[in-house]
Amino acid sequence: MRVIVIEDDADAAAFVKGVLSEAGHLVDVCGDGESGLNKARTGDYDALVVDRMLPGIDGLKLLKSYRDAGGRAPALFLSALGEVDHRVEGLQAGGDDYLVKPYAPSELVARVEALGRRATGDIPTTKLSVGGLEMDLLARTVHRDGQKIDLQPREFRLLEFLMRHAGQVVTRTMLLEKVWDYHFDPQTNVIDVHVSRLRGKIDKDFERPLLHTVRGAGYRLEA
Amino acid sequence: MKIGRLPALVRTTTFRLALLHASIFILFSASLLAYLYYETAGHLGRQAEAELNAEFGELSAAYRGGGLDRLKQAVTERREARGKFFYLLEDGSGQKIEGDFDVLPAPAPLGQVVNVEFAYDARTIQGQPSRRSAEGRISRLSEGGVLMVAYDVGDLGEMNRRITEVVWRSAAVGFVLSLIGGVVISRSAAQRAEQLAKTTEGVMGGDLTRRAPVFGSGDEFDRLSEQLNAMLAKLERLVISSRSAGDSIAHDLRSPLTRLRNRLEAGLRDTDKDGPRAALVRSIDDVDGVLDTFNAVLRLSRVQAGATGSFRRTNVTGITDELAELYQPVCEEKRLAFNYTPQGDLFVLADRDLIAQAMSNLMDNAVKYTPEGGAIRLEARRGVDGDVELIVVDSGPGIPPEDRERAVERFVRLEQSRSQPGSGLGLSLAAAVAEAHTGKLVLADGGGPPTRPGLSVTLRLPAA
Repeated sequence: MRVIVIEDDADAAAFVKGVLSEAGHLVDVCGDGESGLNKARTGDYDALVVDRMLPGIDGLKLLKSYRDAGGRAPALFLSALGEVDHRVEGLQAGGDDYLVKPYAPSELVARVEALGRRATGDIPTTKLSVGGLEMDLLARTVHRDGQKIDLQPREFRLLEFLMRHAGQVVTRTMLLEKVWDYHFDPQTNVIDVHVSRLRGKIDKDFERPLLHTVRGAGYRLEA
Repeated sequence: MKIGRLPALVRTTTFRLALLHASIFILFSASLLAYLYYETAGHLGRQAEAELNAEFGELSAAYRGGGLDRLKQAVTERREARGKFFYLLEDGSGQKIEGDFDVLPAPAPLGQVVNVEFAYDARTIQGQPSRRSAEGRISRLSEGGVLMVAYDVGDLGEMNRRITEVVWRSAAVGFVLSLIGGVVISRSAAQRAEQLAKTTEGVMGGDLTRRAPVFGSGDEFDRLSEQLNAMLAKLERLVISSRSAGDSIAHDLRSPLTRLRNRLEAGLRDTDKDGPRAALVRSIDDVDGVLDTFNAVLRLSRVQAGATGSFRRTNVTGITDELAELYQPVCEEKRLAFNYTPQGDLFVLADRDLIAQAMSNLMDNAVKYTPEGGAIRLEARRGVDGDVELIVVDSGPGIPPEDRERAVERFVRLEQSRSQPGSGLGLSLAAAVAEAHTGKLVLADGGGPPTRPGLSVTLRLPAA
């Protein structure tokens, strides 16, 4: 993926660049809002990573201008402001995701990659399929190798999210946000327990596991 | 020359209003005078004017009919009739032909006719000399000479003067009175304003306990004072809580930071090949812990400051339904009997995320402190007084009544919980969330056997 990082703090920018480069992405860095906006407009990027507070134009305005000018690359906000209304502001300004500082490198990579997937693969679809696992979004059914798997509504949404991001690392926080719509981290391992239940249903009777735990980061569904 | 500033009193708004009020009073007096004059003296004057017109008309007719001789005769007749008018007829050279005066008391008109006012000497009935005023009209005759007809206005003038005097005197008294009133009012207003200014000055000086005096009169100053006091009370609470938060953060972060430092130091000196790397990995965990605590503190502060949350009419049963679904697997994993029975729709004015987080903290605690084989109950119901109650009951060790109040404070981790992971902010946050919703967090006995009474935590919210 080609990613532009618009961040005024040089250390933070270098960190983001390092993390994303290491994950195999091409990263350009811009230190201020105006040149960042120009670069984002003219360059052909797959994703934008924008700090919310920038000198000159702030992140929200920058993204609004970018969207008004027809820019369509998905954008991730980075911000030290983590309250719900701040997130909502970010999303209203045209952001696709919002990551609160400080964050783990794995969280950043997972979210940026999820953004890229959204840009290319967000075409309305009625069927998802990973390996032998098939999900029918209209009939709300799941089969693996032709065998029907019964899921609770929440398990269905959890699996849908994992399948939409198949091959990517998905963090616990992402799951809490996207599947449960919670913007806080419970102290207990609630997500792990839900994922392990889901794993019990989709992997237990099959030789090859699809749902993998990625140490220190989260989960990945992969054939 | 420098112009000094106006005295403080004059600068007050109320004084200016008083001045305006006094001026309006003067204006009113003037119009009253005009009205009175029009209705009394003016009326009499107009009447005299009409009579004068008639008199002049008749004399003109005589002059037109028979010239100067006829006019002289008419004047003589009229003088003998002793009417209210005085006359003077002069010939072209200014010689008196007939009349009450020897010479014209006022200059003859250059044109045809002129109205005049003049003073003349007369005698009272008692024979005393007195100077009286008169008004009249002088007309130049076509063949030369002038005719004057005048009437005495002594009485009329006197009345005018009296009316004018009375009105102006009372106006002066009114002006002075309203000015005095203005001064008194503005001084009391200035005093109240000064008290408010003193209060804010004191607060700015660092004395957060200062409050503006409230006199119970319910006037606008009282209301202003009450508002100011409420604001100051909130401000004081915030300052105190952030102060104590600062202390607590320092206290709570010092030990993990010290540990982190020691670990890094040890890692640096570790000669083992994988030693430094292992130290780094564990250090990251330490830092994550510190950051978690930090975030929890920030969030708690924001909730306490009321700076967060968008409150909407929310069905809290929806929130507890989701929480039950979220936590049931965890309970099962830990072999805890989990019991949840929702009780219909319960609407409150709430921020979904905050309520969910508060309840999630309570559930976390319940799961954490209830030993295997225990039971946890989540309940959403309408309380006896109509409030909405969200309750988490566990069968853990519970919290002794004397410790319950302290357990809600920031960073307080009771002895028995020291060994458990956690920031010690879970209950504080739940309490802050309750307060942000004008509700309450109530800790009580869980209803278990005396050896393990369990804990019941109720988030009580006013129904909407």
